[in-house]
Amino acid sequence: MGTRFEVVLWGGDAPCLRACAEAALERVAELERRYSRFRPDSVLSFVNAHAGRRPVGIDADTFDLLAACARVWRESEGAFDPTVGPLMRAWGFHGEPGDPRDAAACVGMDGVLLDEASRTVRFTRPGASLDLGGIAKGQALDEAAAIVREAGVSCGLLHGGTSTVVAIGSPPGESAWVVEVRGSPFRVALHDRAMSVSEPSGRVVEREGRRLGHVLDPRTGSPVEGARLACVVGASAMETDAWSTALLVLATRPKGMPEQLTTLLPQQESGWSVEGPESRLFWRSDPDDRAGQESP
Amino acid sequence: MNETDRRTFMRQSAGAMAAVALLPELGLARPVRLREPVVVGVIGAGRQGRAILGELQKMEGVSIGAICDIDERRLDAGVRRSQGAEGFADYRAMLDKRADVKALVIATPTHLHRDIALAALAAGRHVYCETPLAHTVEDCQAIARAARGSSGVFHAGLQGRSNPVYKLAWTFFRSEAVRDPVAMRAQSNRKNSWRTPAPDPARDREFNWRLDPAVSLGLAGEQGTQQFDVFHWYLGAYPVRARGGGSIRLHADGREVYDTVHCGLDFESGVHLHYEATLASTYGGEYEVLHGTNASMWLAWTHGWMFKESDAPTQGWEVYANRQRFHNDQGITLIAEATKLAAQGKLQEGIGLPNPPLYYALGDFLRSVSEGAPVVCGADEGARASIVGILANRAVVTGGTVEIDPSLLRGG
Repeated sequence: MGTRFEVVLWGGDAPCLRACAEAALERVAELERRYSRFRPDSVLSFVNAHAGRRPVGIDADTFDLLAACARVWRESEGAFDPTVGPLMRAWGFHGEPGDPRDAAACVGMDGVLLDEASRTVRFTRPGASLDLGGIAKGQALDEAAAIVREAGVSCGLLHGGTSTVVAIGSPPGESAWVVEVRGSPFRVALHDRAMSVSEPSGRVVEREGRRLGHVLDPRTGSPVEGARLACVVGASAMETDAWSTALLVLATRPKGMPEQLTTLLPQQESGWSVEGPESRLFWRSDPDDRAGQESP
Repeated sequence: MNETDRRTFMRQSAGAMAAVALLPELGLARPVRLREPVVVGVIGAGRQGRAILGELQKMEGVSIGAICDIDERRLDAGVRRSQGAEGFADYRAMLDKRADVKALVIATPTHLHRDIALAALAAGRHVYCETPLAHTVEDCQAIARAARGSSGVFHAGLQGRSNPVYKLAWTFFRSEAVRDPVAMRAQSNRKNSWRTPAPDPARDREFNWRLDPAVSLGLAGEQGTQQFDVFHWYLGAYPVRARGGGSIRLHADGREVYDTVHCGLDFESGVHLHYEATLASTYGGEYEVLHGTNASMWLAWTHGWMFKESDAPTQGWEVYANRQRFHNDQGITLIAEATKLAAQGKLQEGIGLPNPPLYYALGDFLRSVSEGAPVVCGADEGARASIVGILANRAVVTGGTVEIDPSLLRGG
């Protein structure tokens, strides 16, 4: 994941809290070892090396993670796609560019066959590979938060790279953890909720004298301008992480998106749109805004 | 070692390097692919158990048939992460029900190893036991006796002996490259509390056995045993005396087990090993250093370097070796398959093992089970190293000197 994770816990027993935070961060490190595409000994590298030739048996946790990828891919109509890596490289987003047409042929989560009965994964497209960078951070935070909760801690905040955050309970005397969404005028009140914010990496690719957009659309295989920010609030950090990635490509909330997720997206004319069952958690923090005078 | 032996070693070392370069599949760091499949059971699904499950899953010909843990949450998590594994809360039930599980890996708290190891050996299973083997001298000796009386494989998890970097370094150590040992030191630095959150305060002692002075071997025993054994193996000798001390530098949370320790181990030859371990600073991490009259070696588990003296004879191969600068010194990288990596343009600063050392130790055990390969680290080596760790911890706890009676290390 290559990013900084931090854990803040509140409670009465400092040695126990420290032990909880250490166990939580240890789980994050363990999952990084399992799902990093940069580590030759990771489970993901093993799958990428072998699933093109034969079905690869995987553990239940990895299967569930890949099944979640497939679900968000389907619901987002392909905007979230963990097989997009070859295309990213071909367009020059990661290292030396290649031919995007060749790369497009191996992209698509529909080319990743998950067989629940045998608990295996197989790639049907030659050259396919998985990159779980758009979802693994959220999954790691969900697992880290579960460790904290199981140890009886009811107040804490965990984040990975400041882009995905999990709030456990709320700070003493407060109703929620208040998190600022940088790049927007909004703050969000989180109580037992996860939130993810995605922004374009800032990298612009130049091809034949044209400056191309920041975000690659896996469905077309071409860069798009996309949204300048996408924020999702929900119960699971894994889900908010994946969906914030998808919304960066889509720029609008799709019909297939789970109803329980709440989204913040920039709009062309009206500025910002907040949609979903928990839109009351968002409030504008700029002083001119009437709704932003006090926190919830 | 006489001159003829040294020359023989030199030839063997050079031959091994060439073979590694030409035949990577036969190299020191080769992946584990068993000829005959082995069904493995893992007893203990805590931190170390999870790491073991992760490494076993990378190996071809290995299936995890059963997992055992008395804690339901850890057991469930272990079973979920292991395709096809059956969960057990009691290791005796596992031994009774799963006769197909021929190889067992014991990764429980140290003081629980003895009963499990003895039951597994009595049931005719092959056993890999984490080290220290036990928390008392008597238990270590009991395990070694039981292993000697068993027809199965017993592999003590002293990972240095299976580590490809350390094996490569060993060939250099036993040749002219390092020559006579001058001094030795090792450290294990980390910054954490050594606590595990217990699901219920009533179970705190069970989960935090490393902080229980009645059963814990402290940093010198729990961390040091692995590291001391590197020197036992290289020198072919065990220490005769341990001195030590310790204090609580950071985690003043009511614990009695020191978070910072130092100890010295004297060898009969006069060479001395200085050891430091702490839970209060990460600086330098974990490594062992051997100073020799021709060169020094710095071994850091996934990486290793050799630092030649300016008057040491040139051996030829090092002209092409990868080097790293460390302040005023230049280290030659010790890495298996160096020639192959160089050809692929992958030989760069900081390159290390493709897998954690645990992978290679488990791989050696399973090759012994599956293919009858010689046991790399048996119960006697495991018991000796564990006894040294136990006595080193005794020196640390008492702040004094503990003589190491050689008869304790002979077993029986």
